[in-house]
Amino acid sequence: MIYLDYHATTPVDARVLEVMLPYFGERFGNAASKHHAFGWAASDAVERARKQIAALVGASSKDVVFTSGATEANNLAIKGAAEARRGERDHLVTVATEHKSVLDPMRRLERDGWGLTVLPVSGSGLIDLEALARAITARTALVSVMAANNEIGVLQPIKQAAALAHAHGAWFHTDAVQAIGKVPFHVEDLDVDLVSMTAHKIYGPKGAGALYVRRPSTALRAGKGPSSATAAEGKRDVKLAGQIDGGGHERGLRSGTLNVPGIVGFGHAAEIARTEMAAEALRVAGLRDRLLERLQARTEGMSVNGAMDARLPGNLNVSFAGIDGEALLVSLDDIAVSSGAACTAAEPSHVLVALGLAKDRALASLRFGIGRTTTLDEVEYAAAKVADVVTRLRNMSPV
Amino acid sequence: MRYSDQVLKRVREPQRVGTLPAGAGVGTGASGTLDEGTVTRIDVRLSGQTIVEARFKVFGCSAAIASASLVAEWLEGASLDEAKGLTAERVTQALQLAHERAPMARRAVEAAQRAISAAETKNE
Repeated sequence: MIYLDYHATTPVDARVLEVMLPYFGERFGNAASKHHAFGWAASDAVERARKQIAALVGASSKDVVFTSGATEANNLAIKGAAEARRGERDHLVTVATEHKSVLDPMRRLERDGWGLTVLPVSGSGLIDLEALARAITARTALVSVMAANNEIGVLQPIKQAAALAHAHGAWFHTDAVQAIGKVPFHVEDLDVDLVSMTAHKIYGPKGAGALYVRRPSTALRAGKGPSSATAAEGKRDVKLAGQIDGGGHERGLRSGTLNVPGIVGFGHAAEIARTEMAAEALRVAGLRDRLLERLQARTEGMSVNGAMDARLPGNLNVSFAGIDGEALLVSLDDIAVSSGAACTAAEPSHVLVALGLAKDRALASLRFGIGRTTTLDEVEYAAAKVADVVTRLRNMSPV
Repeated sequence: MRYSDQVLKRVREPQRVGTLPAGAGVGTGASGTLDEGTVTRIDVRLSGQTIVEARFKVFGCSAAIASASLVAEWLEGASLDEAKGLTAERVTQALQLAHERAPMARRAVEAAQRAISAAETKNE
């Protein structure tokens, strides 16, 4: 079975697993136990991981808040910002192609009385910065734009979007789950306030995530860019309201006993990603380009979904004319990929619909995610297999 | 989107895919539209009171392909009475289709019944 679904999840890197294992065994302590060596060892490991994760995104480790994953991080960012700014502001902005863990909290807040603008994207999947500028007002509390899309891999202009938000005093959140460790991402360069991350997309374990939460002092310490001025004026004092109450862990933003082995794994995965990212991105992009080239050579009626020039190196999303995507997926018995498809009353992927794809094209799509363990042979095999199945399904069609 | 082995086998290694050349005893039936997302076509060749050949074509999901494939398999060698007694419930049960996939079985059976009626007309 060939795994080409690295946007869904990644295997835990053997080096990551190795550093995690002691924290299931002899170093089992609770990081919140302040009075004995078991707790100190756990706490030290957590703080080391916090630094490793912060280093990957150019942050101060004090700005990293651990969560159970990116869904929780997105919920904390959005609901936490809304609760903190309620009464002061009443409007939120996001994008139609966001992950459901951004869109659903936004819609819940809309039902609670918040104004919500969901921006469309162009056919390439990119946001229109002028439309974003028009959407943000002095009433906007938070703007959330994902760094890299999980289906089409498109990279949004985060720095420009964040600047537009800040011009009106809005906080800026980005779901960077697919971007970090794959493409350069630096919280100070981008001047973002809230960043969601997760371990299992970067060869770490499931169940460990983090939210970067900018404190005003970060910008002041950095002493650069427009953020210093705005922070000095108090406009960027990002103080979220915690959404899980309990022991006051994680600066009071996320109570709950820390998942020490998971966090240790997250930290080590972040460190590996930081040191190997540049070389791996080149290798993975080469494989992706080969896959595209082979598919184009062997398959007529195929189109690429989303911009190719602003895209994650390991992502390819294509649609095929004249076939059912679900049948395609089921026919690919030895290749693990994803599709925007389902059966009968299927609703196509909201991301592909937002690009303007017709329902049949959106349903007949495949998402390839190429990653650390993918080989050239696997890519060649997958391209040939997909082309064969597409031909067989087309020959089977009566229309 | 988990399917039984009966469905997977028919999607991955389909048998009896195709059409039958028009002629005496050959009938074609179709069900569904592109807008609905599924089009099933079944061809049968009737000789006397027996269906001697059956073929199918499908645009649609795995459940639709497997349903049409199974129906074509059952039709071949069946008497007219047996063929007319074929029900979608039997297809759904044999393929262990989930409730929401049942319309795919109905498409296949509807296409088959239309093909049989057309074949009877041409057989006379």
